[in-house]
Amino acid sequence: MSKLIDAIICKNLPARDLKNANLVNVWAIAWAASLAIISFISKYEWYSATLPITMAFVFNSGIGIGMILAYKRFLKELDEMERKIQLDALATSVGVTLVAFGGYSILDKAGMAPELQASSLIVLMALTYMAGIIVGRVRYQ
Amino acid sequence: MNNRLKVLRAERDWTQADLANELEVSRQTVNAIEKGKFDPSLPLAFKISRLFKMRIEDIFSG
Repeated sequence: MSKLIDAIICKNLPARDLKNANLVNVWAIAWAASLAIISFISKYEWYSATLPITMAFVFNSGIGIGMILAYKRFLKELDEMERKIQLDALATSVGVTLVAFGGYSILDKAGMAPELQASSLIVLMALTYMAGIIVGRVRYQ
Repeated sequence: MNNRLKVLRAERDWTQADLANELEVSRQTVNAIEKGKFDPSLPLAFKISRLFKMRIEDIFSG
């Protein structure tokens, strides 16, 4: 159990990596918050005009690009074993999501499953990524 | 891959954290290399070799 807890919190990363990881977290929270705010205001009638939609798109995409660049920098400067764990987790996450999407599409087209929501894929991707990181950290302990 | 990192570290009375600081990696990375669970990259292997003033092949063996 302590191995699992250590794998989740990963307290012994170098200070530079923790700082970069926190920066990625801040960008990710800002991106998710901007998405939630835009989803909320999209219910209002004034939002249907082109200008607010364009502004919302640029705002959300801008934060998203910031998040990607912060994550890229995090990976570039990361401790090399932790980088391998992160890349393995990313590969698993993308692979599982692609295969799940393909499989679900077959069921969807056959009318055997409800229409696929994009948010379900994002959740699946996030969960498999987190699971991959924990498995990787436990493996190398 | 086998290596003599643990022995070399012990000879100098260094902890894993000391060695990790010298190599600018995490303590977990040093631990995983010592246990043979993780093979270091070539740049890190060179850094280790310079730190211990030994040839890479005298520290690591297949």
